[in-house]
Amino acid sequence: MSIYALLSQFGDRYVEALCTTYKLTLLSFVGAVLIGVIITIMRISPIRPLRAAVDFYIQIFRNIPGAALLILLVYALPYLNLVLSYYACVLIATTLIPSAFCSEYLMSGINAIERGQIEAARSLGMTFLQIVKNVILPQAVRSSVLPMTNLLVATMLTTALASQVPLNPTDLTGVVSYINTRAVGGVTAFVISALFYCGTAVVIGQLGNLIDRKVRILR
Amino acid sequence: MSTINHSITEVLYEPPGPKTRRCIAVATAISLVLLAGLLLAALHRFYVTGQLNPKYWSLFAKHTTWRFLARGLSGTLKVALMSSAISFVAGLLLMLGRIGKNRVVGGISTVLIELSRGIPTLLFIYFFFLLAPQFGLKISPFWKITLPVSLSAAGVVAEMLRSGVNAVPKGQREAALSLGMRDRSVFFKIIFPQAFRYVIPSLISEIVIVLKDTTFAYVVNYSDLMQNSRVLISNYDALLSVYLVTAGIYILINYVLNKISVFLAERRNVSVG
Repeated sequence: MSIYALLSQFGDRYVEALCTTYKLTLLSFVGAVLIGVIITIMRISPIRPLRAAVDFYIQIFRNIPGAALLILLVYALPYLNLVLSYYACVLIATTLIPSAFCSEYLMSGINAIERGQIEAARSLGMTFLQIVKNVILPQAVRSSVLPMTNLLVATMLTTALASQVPLNPTDLTGVVSYINTRAVGGVTAFVISALFYCGTAVVIGQLGNLIDRKVRILR
Repeated sequence: MSTINHSITEVLYEPPGPKTRRCIAVATAISLVLLAGLLLAALHRFYVTGQLNPKYWSLFAKHTTWRFLARGLSGTLKVALMSSAISFVAGLLLMLGRIGKNRVVGGISTVLIELSRGIPTLLFIYFFFLLAPQFGLKISPFWKITLPVSLSAAGVVAEMLRSGVNAVPKGQREAALSLGMRDRSVFFKIIFPQAFRYVIPSLISEIVIVLKDTTFAYVVNYSDLMQNSRVLISNYDALLSVYLVTAGIYILINYVLNKISVFLAERRNVSVG
């Protein structure tokens, strides 16, 4: 099938699929960063049970395969009388997994801060939350621009999980199998999706580099 | 991680005064109660829906269950090992192409690396799964899962190796050249062995990603751990417990791999990238 025939027949599908993937990616990324920031603050707080709980959370979601988590959400939760829509299941899976990685990146950003700064802040009489807000987070956020762009790309790739459940409209990966079950899409059907993914990843990477150069702290 | 954690928390609040200590104690108590409540609520949920019933869990007392899961796990590990090996060789070639002097090869390698890193594994899997039959190619389920997983890891491996090569101090190369070594032997005898040692921790954490990607083996009907647990589920009619245990096995293996990676990184004093 030529690229023109393919696009004239399935062009709308591709646009919808691209929108689905972008929307999933953005929602998941925002959610992941929010959760990531909250659990990172819990992780450096002096409250031991919270730290232990967050460590447990992170080990779970860092190490669980995306497919396994999605299967649990879709097939196992109904046995606990928790029935979620397919879209919600995908969204939860693609938010929780990146959130654990987000916290790991923030932690390494925090660990890069010199102890002297925190000691100085403490000797100025700042409280724990003040130190976090005024000393730690601004620096941790700045030095985590590059990891965060990687996280955004990783989140986008994770949203391919959406192809494993029936969604309408499908995501960029799902649209390929949609086309191939209805017509012989051939290589072209893949190439279009692949280029969308790859192009987005490259653009995000370049933007990340640009922002990083502007806000980087030279140590 | 724990040692680093320790140092940052030490600076953050050491030593707390009596007032802060009281605050921390109260917050600790409250959070303990909340966490216990959360745990109880989850258990209660399991209880009222009947999921704590022994009939769902007794199958794990039989050794046949574990043998069957182990057989699935060996399928998973086979794919993971083969994919790791292939992606290492492919990544090495791509990295050599990218840092080499030939511009054309360098450009092609860069594009291939970006493609490999920017395309989700599932798309690669569908590529082999849906397209091979259209071209009349017969690929066994093993390769249908191994090839796409390797392809999507190769680009990451290439970039890891490249960062390792860049981390080798320039003086090493200059010293070797001044001893009269050729470019090729400088790279393979001096630079690469050091670069490789730098990136061993990252390579191990890449195995974790490969292992996670093998979970998609059910798409191509290869009997891995996930596929075998599905069989268990239909045999024993126990979905939740089997999936929970299976997920636990994956988490445990990846956790151990990550620990090894962190241990090696701390011993060599390099960070996991």
